[in-house]
Amino acid sequence: MTQFVQALILGLMIGGVYALLASGLTLIFGVMDVINVAQGALIILSAFITWALWKEVGIDPLLGALITTPAMFVIGWVIYRLTIQWISGRPASTSVLLTFALALVLEGIMGLVWSTTYHSSTPGYVDESFRAGSFYFPKAQLFGCAIAVGVLAALYMMLTRTWLGRAIRAVSENVSSARLVGVNARKVAALTFALGVATTGAGGSIASVLYPFLPGSHYQWISRLLGIIVLGGMGSLPGALVGALTLGVAETMTVTYISPRWATMVPYAVIMVVLLARPQGIMGAKLREDVVV
Amino acid sequence: MTTAEAGPARRTGVPGFVTAHGWRVVVGLALVFLMLYPVVSDDLYYQNMIILSLLLAIMGSGWNIISGFTGYVSLGQSAFLGIGAYTTALFAVKVFEGASPFWFIPISAVVAGIFAAVVGSVLTRTRGHAFVILTIAFLFVMQIVTLNWSDLTNGNHGLSLPLPLWNIDYQNWPFYYSLLGLMLLSVAMSWWIRRTKLGMGLIAIREDESKAASVGVNTSVYKVLSFVASAIFIGAAGGLYAYYLTFIDPRGMFDIVVSVQVVLAVLLGGRGTILGPVLGAFILEPLNEITNNEFSGGNERLIFFGGLLALVVLFLPRGVIPSVAELWARWRGAGKAALVGARIERPVAVREADAEPEPAHGTGRSLLEVRDVSRRFGGLRALDGCALEVEEGTITALIGPNGSGKTTLFNIIDGTMSADSGEIRFDGAPIDGLPPWERAHRGIGRTFQITRLFREMTVLENVVAPLRSFSWRQLAADAVSGAEAQRAQELLDFVGMRAFAEQRAAALSFGQQKLVELAQILMLDPRLIMLDEPAGGINPTLVDHIVEMIRELNRQGKTFLIVEHNMPMVLGLCDPVLVLARGSCICRGTPAEIQRDERVLDAYLGEHYVADQQAGVS
Repeated sequence: MTQFVQALILGLMIGGVYALLASGLTLIFGVMDVINVAQGALIILSAFITWALWKEVGIDPLLGALITTPAMFVIGWVIYRLTIQWISGRPASTSVLLTFALALVLEGIMGLVWSTTYHSSTPGYVDESFRAGSFYFPKAQLFGCAIAVGVLAALYMMLTRTWLGRAIRAVSENVSSARLVGVNARKVAALTFALGVATTGAGGSIASVLYPFLPGSHYQWISRLLGIIVLGGMGSLPGALVGALTLGVAETMTVTYISPRWATMVPYAVIMVVLLARPQGIMGAKLREDVVV
Repeated sequence: MTTAEAGPARRTGVPGFVTAHGWRVVVGLALVFLMLYPVVSDDLYYQNMIILSLLLAIMGSGWNIISGFTGYVSLGQSAFLGIGAYTTALFAVKVFEGASPFWFIPISAVVAGIFAAVVGSVLTRTRGHAFVILTIAFLFVMQIVTLNWSDLTNGNHGLSLPLPLWNIDYQNWPFYYSLLGLMLLSVAMSWWIRRTKLGMGLIAIREDESKAASVGVNTSVYKVLSFVASAIFIGAAGGLYAYYLTFIDPRGMFDIVVSVQVVLAVLLGGRGTILGPVLGAFILEPLNEITNNEFSGGNERLIFFGGLLALVVLFLPRGVIPSVAELWARWRGAGKAALVGARIERPVAVREADAEPEPAHGTGRSLLEVRDVSRRFGGLRALDGCALEVEEGTITALIGPNGSGKTTLFNIIDGTMSADSGEIRFDGAPIDGLPPWERAHRGIGRTFQITRLFREMTVLENVVAPLRSFSWRQLAADAVSGAEAQRAQELLDFVGMRAFAEQRAAALSFGQQKLVELAQILMLDPRLIMLDEPAGGINPTLVDHIVEMIRELNRQGKTFLIVEHNMPMVLGLCDPVLVLARGSCICRGTPAEIQRDERVLDAYLGEHYVADQQAGVS
């Protein structure tokens, strides 16, 4: 029982971090129908930047989120302007191919700059834990989860309380109607993409402490995030949260009770089961499919 | 390429390469070069380069069938390379130790085909994004299983195959010629598929899957078959590749970067064309070798491939062959100008004399029965206990305000959508559980409010595409047989669109598309024809023309169910008229009765209007 609860605690903490990372992916998908496969590579990029800041300048990796978040926002905006905006209106698979191409380029660049070996940010507290009874809370996980939840809350407030947030939600519901009422859909799309990528800033900084990473780790991250948003319902923010917590717990349970070797399988298993059995996910509304445009 | 040229590519409507005489010579010379190269030159470096190009060409040809023809983009196709490689390796290492791995190549193809059939029948139930993601997941699942099932596969440590035993003088000839043979086979298969009913159905699925199903194409079987066809030669090539490498491991064999190279090669050459994948492979692989030599590691290759893929997706989405073919056609000034000014001919079969057409008479039998059908979209009840009947031999109208559920009802009747509850009976038998194509086979033909033709096909092909039944033999039949072409020409004559037979459907005006869509469903020889706003958005002359055709077809025994907002047309043509409001059928009657019915006025104009009229205000 203790083992089970401990696995649950770890799973929920890691799930909080996943939630932040998946929110960016699901936000981008919801607004512009683009699956940003490069999201995984952007996480690793942020992790490398965090690692470099920590190693070279001595900035705490978790505080590094303050630098990586705006940096990734700018990178996201540039990527959108250079590539994504030119493929609007093309078939769904086009965006997957294009962002996959970006992921490969990023992987190559990171390999050149930082080499293809495992890196890890290891500040002093990385091996320390708080204890509560027979359970322990690793400090890195706890701080990481807290930051992730904080950023997620800020993102949520922004989406629900600001004009930009309303515009984003309007575009995700119906592009043409949003245009009709005066929303500059292209500008909103660019900002959404940048915002979605910005979540990889804080998320990547946290991830650099929690997991060792190398440029090729992005496949693992993107499959994990895809599993989450597929499970939660593509395009749904609350769904991403539920999906992330579920997947976090599923992973730690697999590690605890089966074998770490099979933990990498969890996201794929989730993707397959959900897409085939309940394609709209947990939170996705059942939308009509015959809309005539 | 001009449309006047003969040959299979013309009939199937692909801007092809093979037809033009000059290109035939080029292709022939390239083939001779490939046949003779190892004999003439003993340069192993270039032999290896060609071997890898052939491998990529085979994979590209395979991918092209599921993704180029059928339009289902797969990023998991390299899984079949791994499946084929491991099949051959396991047989050669564990089952028949000492036997030549060449024996097991056919088994690799079969195993890959079986995997594709099983996986494909599940995966092709999804579309678009979901399908792409699932193929990626499939690839990684295969990789993880191969890694972790180390008792069988030796996991991370990989498997070593026996070394080739033939005389060193023959170098890599057995690999070279086997792969060349496989490539020719896979290209031949693509070519053959493209000219059969199967191929035409696949293109129809790519252009508009629901539409294809509604005109009788058994899309499930077609999609699975195309997935299998796309996998078998990749499986066989995987077996050869494993032997060629003599060592395989899970990460190298189930590699998503290989999938990306395949996609890139086909996009480069020309997706959906027969030779595009081969051309793309022979462009890409040498580039790959050059980057390998110029740079030290894998990082540059990633940047190169990723960058090239991004550039192709952004700037050359149609690929080299279609782009060059188009430039060529433009340069030669070839290709018929669109027949924008051509007149739509009067239908030949229509008698002009009928000034006062007698109203259609029903036979008293009910052809279509809708019983208590409901359908919700989230909180919206589009249909709420809808019940109605269409009598055989009638021209029945279905009218109702916008949003009353007419199109939803059509979608439920033809099977595009399923009802939450209720029952649909056609000709006395329930059809609720049947897929759309079965309903088409039973005699339900349906047009769409916004026309849905297969845009990249010609008008003639659009009319020939519908299938009145399903049989395995039919799949291999010629896409356009003589008898069908004849019948299609007659139908195009009937709707007055014969002059447009060779035009691309996308080039037609909206009204012309409506006529072609009518001819298309007539190919099904349906007993019930459902028209969704046949007069919507077209000019009055054409409306008259359509009315005449409906009358003529009705005389020949066709029953009609027509959704229409053009009231003069409805009231002059149809009897009875059904009125749908807020998701259920509120009344049924002759046009005269309907015009007087208060419930109808209420549904259309709101109660105030009725009240005002009664009070004499209006």
